[in-house]
Formats: sequence, C-alpha cells, structure tokens
Amino acid sequence: MQKKIREASQVSPIIAFFITLSIQIGIGVLSFQRTVSRHSGQDAWVVMLIAGLSTLAVMWMILRLLDNEQAYGQPDLLSIHRRLFGKWIGGMLNMAALSFVTIFGVVTLRSYIEILQVWVFPQLSVFGISIIFCLMVWYAVLGGFRVVAGICTLSTLYMLPLILNGGFELQQAHFSNLLPLLEHSPQSLMQSYMQAIHSYLGFELVLFFHPFIKRPEAARKWYYFGLLTALYIYLMVLILALTYFSQAELQTEIWPTLTFWKAIHFPLLEHFDIIGIMVFLWVFLPSISMSAWAISRGIKQTFPIIRQKYALIFVLVLFVILSAMIRDGARVEWINNLYTMIGFYFIYAYIPFLLIYQLIHKKMKQKQTKGTG
Amino acid sequence: MKVKTAGALIILVFLSGCLPTSVIDDILMVEAEGYDYIGDGKVLGTATMPNYVESGNQGGQGAGLPSTAAMMSSVSGVTYDSKSLIDKFQSKGQRPLRLGKVRIMIFNKRMARHGLKKELDFRNRDPETGRDMQLAVVDGSTNKLLTAQYQTTIPVSRYLTDMIDQNQEQNYPKSNLHQVLYSYYGNYMDPFMPMIRKEGMHLEMRGIALFRNDKYVMTLPEKNVFLFKMLFEKFNQGVYDYQYSPGKHVVIRNVYSTVSYKVRNGNGAEPEIFAKVRLMGDVRQSAPHLLKKDYHTKVEKGMERDIEERAFKMVEMFQKKRIDPLRLGDLVRSYTRQFDGASWDERYPHAHFHCSVHVNIMEMGVSQ
Repeated sequence: MQKKIREASQVSPIIAFFITLSIQIGIGVLSFQRTVSRHSGQDAWVVMLIAGLSTLAVMWMILRLLDNEQAYGQPDLLSIHRRLFGKWIGGMLNMAALSFVTIFGVVTLRSYIEILQVWVFPQLSVFGISIIFCLMVWYAVLGGFRVVAGICTLSTLYMLPLILNGGFELQQAHFSNLLPLLEHSPQSLMQSYMQAIHSYLGFELVLFFHPFIKRPEAARKWYYFGLLTALYIYLMVLILALTYFSQAELQTEIWPTLTFWKAIHFPLLEHFDIIGIMVFLWVFLPSISMSAWAISRGIKQTFPIIRQKYALIFVLVLFVILSAMIRDGARVEWINNLYTMIGFYFIYAYIPFLLIYQLIHKKMKQKQTKGTG
Repeated sequence: MKVKTAGALIILVFLSGCLPTSVIDDILMVEAEGYDYIGDGKVLGTATMPNYVESGNQGGQGAGLPSTAAMMSSVSGVTYDSKSLIDKFQSKGQRPLRLGKVRIMIFNKRMARHGLKKELDFRNRDPETGRDMQLAVVDGSTNKLLTAQYQTTIPVSRYLTDMIDQNQEQNYPKSNLHQVLYSYYGNYMDPFMPMIRKEGMHLEMRGIALFRNDKYVMTLPEKNVFLFKMLFEKFNQGVYDYQYSPGKHVVIRNVYSTVSYKVRNGNGAEPEIFAKVRLMGDVRQSAPHLLKKDYHTKVEKGMERDIEERAFKMVEMFQKKRIDPLRLGDLVRSYTRQFDGASWDERYPHAHFHCSVHVNIMEMGVSQ
C-alpha cells in the first residue's frame, strides 16, 4: 500500500470543477461540428446531448470505482490495476493506460500545432514549436499538481471570451436550419456518436488525479457540474455552427469555429481569428499538462526508483518526438481516429468491466477469508 | 533560477527569428481584386493596394488618407482562371504582396457568366482573408473601374466597400462572402451579389446580380431590390416608392419589416409557399392631397396590393429562370419531413407562391 498524499499538495474540491471542464474542452471544440453533423445533419445536437449525458454515467462509474478503492489504498487507476491484477499483469495494464494518456496529450499538442501551421505560420516547424510548448508544460508540471490545477482554473477564465463571442454568430443565425427536428434514423445518429465521443474524451483522467482532491465526497458534485458545463458549451457551439453555416457548407469547413472567426473584424483588429488561435493555447495547455503530469506520476508509481522530475523529461521528449513524427494533416486525422477508437472502448467497455471485476474480486476475497477463518 | 531565466530568454530571442515577418511598412497590402474574363479560360486580373507609408497629406496624423503616390497602387496581368492573383503578381510587386486585408472582389459580367466556382472554392479554402469581404459584379470592365480616377481621393477599394456597406444597411440585402458561400454550397439555394457600375467620376449600385449555382443569370433591377430584401430578411431602413397613379407617388421609409413563411405540401408536385410580410413605415414624401382621412383604404391597401403583385411577379420570374436567390428551396426543406430533394429542381418552377403584405403607416411627417 502506498502512502497517502500530503494535504499540502492537494487541492480543494471546487477545483475539480475547473479541472474537469478545462480537460473536457479540448481540441475537439474547434472541429467537431463538421464531423458530428456529417451523418446526422441538423440533428447532430441530439447526438451531442446523448453523448454528453453518457459521460455523466461514466463519471458515476468512475467515482464508484474510486470510492470502492478508498478502503484499500490510493484511489487511482494504477493502484487499482496493481491490486486487482497483480504486479505483472497490472503493470502491463498500467503501461497500456499510460500509452492512452500519451496519445491524448500528443493528439492535443499536434492538432494545435496543425492549426497554427494552417492558419497563422505556414513555415512553422513542428519540432521547434513543440519544444517551446513542452517547456511551458515542463514549467507547469514541475510545480506539482497544484500548479497544473491552477492552469486549469485560469484556462477556464481565458476560455470565456472565446466561447462568448458566439453572440456575433447569433446575429446571422438561421434557426430554420435545425428543422425538421429528429429526421435522421438511429443508425445515422449512431455513426455520429463516435465523433461526438472524440470531443468528450478527457474526463477519464479523473482516474489519475482523484487522490489529489481534498474531501472526495464534496468534490463529487463539482465533477458533475464540470461535465454539465462542458456539455452546455459543446451544445451551444454546435447549434451556433449549425445555424450559421448551411449544412452542405459546414461539410467543407474543417475548423468551423475558426472560419466563423474570420467574419469578425474590428476597426483596429482585422483578424480576430489570429488572436483567438493564440488565446486557444490556453485552452489546450491544461489537457497537455495534465496528461504529462499523469504519465510522469504513473512512471514514478510503476518504477519507484525513477523520480517524477526525470520521468517528466522523458515524457516531454517523447511528446516532441511523437509530434514531429506525425508529419502532415492526413496523419493528424489518423491519430485522432485511433484515439477516438481507443477512448470509446476505454470509457464504455473497460471502465464498466473494471467496476464489475472489482466487485467480484471483493466477493471472492470475502469468501476466501470466510473459508480460512 | 538565474540559469533558467537566462535559458528562457535565450530561447525566446533565438526562436523569434525563425519565421518570416510581414512588417506593415515593408509590404503591399492588397485591398481589392478584380477579374475580367477574356475568353479561353484566361482572366485579366487587377489588384489594388493603398500603402500606408510616408503619408503625403500634411497634418493627416495617421488618421488621414493614405497617400498612393509613394508606391505602386495597382497591378494587373493576364493569367488563367482561378489562379491566385497574388502569386501571379508577386513578380511585379515593388514589395511583397500580402492578402490579409482584401475587402472586396469584383468580377465583370462575362467572368460571372463564365462561373465563379474556382474563385469561391479558393476563397473558402484560404485562411488569410476575412469572411465578411464583399463580392460584386461589375457592369463594364473591373480593370477600368479599379484603376480610374474618382472624385474622392480615398482608395477605390475603400470607396467601393463603403458604398456597398451603406447600401446594404438600407435597401440592398446583405451579400458578403459569408452569405454567398452559404448559398453557393448550401442545397436548394443560389447566391446573389450587388451589381455596380462606373458612371463618369463615380460609382453606383445597379441592382442585384442573380446566379444559378456559380453562374450569373440575370440582374434584378434597382426598383425591385426593396421587394427582394423584404422577402429575404427583416430590416428597418428601406425606402419604397409607391406610384399611386401616374405622376402621383407616395414614398415610405420603413421603420420595421418582418417576413414569416409557411409551407404546405412540400413533397407534392406543386408545393405551396406562403409569405406574410408586415411593414411598418413613415411617409416621407407624398403627392399633395393623397394623405387625407381615408388614406388607410386608399394608400395602405393600394400599396399592399402593389407590393404583393410585384413580389409575386418577381418570384414567378425566379421560378421561370430556375434560380432561387430567396432560398425558398431550403425553406421548403426545413418545413418538410423527409424532404424529396432530388426532384426539387423539377418541382420548384411549379411551386405556388403566395404573398400577403400588411402595410402600417405609422407617421406622416411634420405637416398636415
């Protein structure tokens, strides 16, 4: 059993809200409108709503899992693996989980760099900018979990103006685009569901940072509020895009949010889009920092000899190399699809399985103790 | 700590030099592009760029008019259709040409008839330019329009956009790049742009150029533009001239106008579209003795019938030409479950359009 987390490195329950929200609003928010509505057209918002509500259910399972674990030791995924599956299988599962988190970080980082390249600096080298970005992440993670949580909190604040400028979009919205309601078949809605999940992935990192929240019972409602706020933001952004663009036009825009920003200009500020993209750095920073933090801590937990400081450097070098390996737009799309696939099975299949296995494990233990005692 | 700070500073200094820069004094910012089709897939392109350096007029203090004397102000050349003009003209540029501030693109009638498919696709793909830029069709040569001298010394790009912008606040419907792309890519609708023309030393709006997909079809004359806008969107600054009888006119400036649609039988062979317009306006100008006690029945009813009739004729003409700038097809789609889009093109000319207008004169000026 590992030692308890010191209170000095824990954060108060309300921060759970900011962390969940800022991780939820990830790279998907710029591009999900097109992919989600590809098969379901004007009914895409229904898919987004259902997928968002399903994250609440998954969150319930995750919290249940972690609460059950509280009795045995540290409530996080890696300790659960260790306890339930033993040192070797558990260790392997830990590696698999950490690879998934790595993909999460790399996807976010690389997709943001792609946007920078396409929209602002065509000559930007992936290698150079990912090093700069990773230096920022290094600074954040080195400060420990509290700094990462602080970045999440700030990110929520900086995100507000970017989300609120939807008001400009509202002036030119054609709400009749949403009609007729519910025209699409369940099959086409299901096809869009996968894409919706891509945007919502990220909250499963709760499995890693939960022990760092003080008074977990009080934090529970903040997790749910965070998820609900993310759901609300996604729904709002999606409905604005559906009403601002005509359906066939939306399918030609890879980043509908940014394309919409091209239409905003002020007397002294011709290109709002460029400012917006730069501020969006703050929206992606928490996701990347949190994943770097989770992986480096995971490495420390699995191999206690390695200090988190050194593990972090390894992780960031890995981030840079992987980002540089994803050379063009097509590969960015490929890794995004891979990430969605893995994430989909992780939250809808693996987490329920883990919860059930945990219960069975407990029952078996009880029987054993009864048998021997 | 000191080492870390120094390291961060060094990285900042060295990495900031890695990318090419565009300092405003060292570039030419293109503000308007013109396309003249000269046949056989060839285009005569023109680009104008006011420059902001070395302001010529004294006391302008930066807020004055930019001088166009210090550097070249326009460039033109022949290229193939759909070529990026900027790339083509780079070899003629005194300084690097940059595209970030293009405010207007104009096409001559022949170019528009040839089709703007490639230009629109190019604009939609291009991350550099704004989405609220104006597009317009020119009756005449765009090259002459962009390089001519006008009464104003303001650059022609600004003159053009100012004129179009202020007209779109009033009688003209909004038709910036966003609106055009919306209709061009969207199903069951067609784009439109303002039609402009050079008249001596000034420019003027000459109605609306209507398109089928990306190809110019016809011009909606100036006198019908109000009706078009009335059916297209709600607005509050239009001016409508009603001819009561020959030589007797009543002009209202509308305070508010709204339109709502209903659709019946959207999948049938002859769909029915009902437009209901509410117009509230002030009388600005009137033939004497028209606004007597029974003006309500005489003027308002007469005006209603006049608008209804002309709107009906206008839509009938659209149907005959098989163009849909009012986005009626999209409207029918939104009102119809499992809309049969494949056959819409055949059914559109047979659709019945009903327009009912309610005019409400609010005030009649300061004299009685």
